[in-house]
Amino acid sequence: MKKQPLATSMKDIDNENKLIEGLINNNDLAYEALVRQYGAKMYTVAWRFFSTDDDAQECLQKAFIQVFKNIPSFKKNSNLSTWLHRITVNEALMMLRQKKRQHTSSLETFYQQYNDYGERTVFADNLGHSLSHNLSNNIEMIFEKGETKLSLNELIYQLPEKYCNVILLRDIQELSTKETAEILAISEASVKTQLHRARLLLKAILEQEDKESAEKNWTVN
Amino acid sequence: MLMIKRLMTQHMPGMLTCEEVDGFLYDFHDGNLSYIERFKFKLHLSMCPECRDYLDGYKNAIRMSQTGFIKANKSTEVPEDLMQAILKSRTSK
Repeated sequence: MKKQPLATSMKDIDNENKLIEGLINNNDLAYEALVRQYGAKMYTVAWRFFSTDDDAQECLQKAFIQVFKNIPSFKKNSNLSTWLHRITVNEALMMLRQKKRQHTSSLETFYQQYNDYGERTVFADNLGHSLSHNLSNNIEMIFEKGETKLSLNELIYQLPEKYCNVILLRDIQELSTKETAEILAISEASVKTQLHRARLLLKAILEQEDKESAEKNWTVN
Repeated sequence: MLMIKRLMTQHMPGMLTCEEVDGFLYDFHDGNLSYIERFKFKLHLSMCPECRDYLDGYKNAIRMSQTGFIKANKSTEVPEDLMQAILKSRTSK
């Protein structure tokens, strides 16, 4: 669809204060300016949570519904971009929670090798680790070829919710520990701990996938 | 190499064990270790191939999770029909 030109008078709404003023006064042009100016940024945030157009678009729509609903309570001295970003992230997390699959049996075997915190439970001797072989470039190829049951994104979605959330916020959205802690309403120390455990769990799963793939290829050959 | 590592971890004060390296991993990756901690961490890595592999795997897991999402993240221009639908949802409420 062809992009429609902006109304000329919207040029007047060129600074954030005027825009906020217009939004609070229920000005249609201000709302259009808001969607056009900030929509792309919010869409990018949504995209980093979801792997399909449909989900990202649904997230953006839901985020804007929240924005429209909550504009009257927006504090003028707050930062508009930060507020919009926060709403988008919250909507994305809510959508993910709703979508989260109930059946995660494919990952159960991996969890059994780790304790409740995703930490390795087996050490080869008192000095070294019991390491599965090094995570190789093969894994990337496996995922690219679609040889695994799960895509990388799905793999992350299927992690326990607390691990999935910290990976998405810290490693994918690249939010700071402080921002992540605020959004998830947990301490910064918890963010660090959970992220570390999430990364270790992901590492183990990827290594296991790699191992299984190598064994499968060996059997075939 | 294993012998040297064993001797050093048992007899050199301040030398990190593999378990301790594991505990430092997160802060090392995020660049939060002090100079001394980083030195000890790297010293251990220099003589422990298992921990080097382990660190590589850790970094790789992060990189791959990022790659998976960034690959999907092609164009983020909001389609005009979506833009219109969003604006319409405001007036139709």
